[in-house]
Amino acid sequence: MSAAPPFQARRIAIWDLPTRAFHWLVVLLVPAMWWTAEEEMMDLHILLGQTMFGLVLFRIFWGLIGSSTARFAGFVRGPRAILSYLRGDGKARIGHNPIGALSVVALLTLLSIQVGLGLFASDEDGLYQGPLSHHVSLEASETLAERHETMFDVLLIFIGLHVAAILFYLVIKRDNLVGPMVSGSREAGEGEAPMAAAPLWRFLIAAGAALALTLAIATGL
Amino acid sequence: MKHFLLASFAIAGLAATAAAQAGRAPPADTIRMRQANYKQMAGAMKGINDQLRSESLSLPDVRRHSALIARHAVQVLNWFPHGTGPEAGVRTRAKAEIWSDPSGFRTAGARLLVTARTMDAAARRGDLPAIRAAMPRLQSACGGCHEAYRGPDR
Repeated sequence: MSAAPPFQARRIAIWDLPTRAFHWLVVLLVPAMWWTAEEEMMDLHILLGQTMFGLVLFRIFWGLIGSSTARFAGFVRGPRAILSYLRGDGKARIGHNPIGALSVVALLTLLSIQVGLGLFASDEDGLYQGPLSHHVSLEASETLAERHETMFDVLLIFIGLHVAAILFYLVIKRDNLVGPMVSGSREAGEGEAPMAAAPLWRFLIAAGAALALTLAIATGL
Repeated sequence: MKHFLLASFAIAGLAATAAAQAGRAPPADTIRMRQANYKQMAGAMKGINDQLRSESLSLPDVRRHSALIARHAVQVLNWFPHGTGPEAGVRTRAKAEIWSDPSGFRTAGARLLVTARTMDAAARRGDLPAIRAAMPRLQSACGGCHEAYRGPDR
């Protein structure tokens, strides 16, 4: 760079608080849910699962009405955009790049499937059931419990890919993606504008709808 | 002829069940019988849980399930005659500890009986809070014994 900027590099907001909170709560919940399943603390596991259901639901709503960088329409791109990004001639922009978008979609989809299976699952002894399992037979909910176990391994593989990608950016591309996911902001590149933050009322709608549906299911829909 | 055949099948079935209960049946039959009985109990457990979750709880359904569990709970300790463990050569998850730690296994069986009868009594009274309170104890009586005396699947 020929001329140093006359002021300190400008920081811009790229992830809003709800998106970050969702991300880190999932980071805490996934190992907690694995542990409670492993230790057969099923009451707690089911309670955490309902929390996860609410979180995933919220994130889906937030992907529709949230801040610009949280919206699916803002970051989910077609194959042409992905290829052009891979060739390196995509424009740099804040938010998920086209490949990162694939990762978000994959992880959210897997979490949704995993939570969905858990809602209807039962252990083989009929002792513990997900909150919607009374709509299906013991045999069906046992099968779903087996799928629930298998799906966790699939989820782990994708979480591994996600972490590997972050390490790749950190080590090879010298780009720390974790910091902004904590602070919400990063130094602005040339001509970069911050995200368009969603107003509070949009958050209240998304969170309220997710909470209402979660409570409906938890109390036996 | 058809009736005679059906009747003889029924008698043979009854005899096999009685012999299995008495521990004189081939180990494979005893193992199959107890697995089928446990499966019934699993269905009954889920049945009670389903009712507790449903908007219009049916007491007759809860009673049917609690009665089945209590009926089987009396018998559980008779389902494990010697020779029906891992050495039977049939797929069974019964661990050798059932026979090497008989007093522990009897205690677990007694715990099942007590908790199953508490549940059944609550169901007969139609005492919903007592049914809800009995559930976690019954779950833990089942689960605790499985943990100690049942091996992993496959």
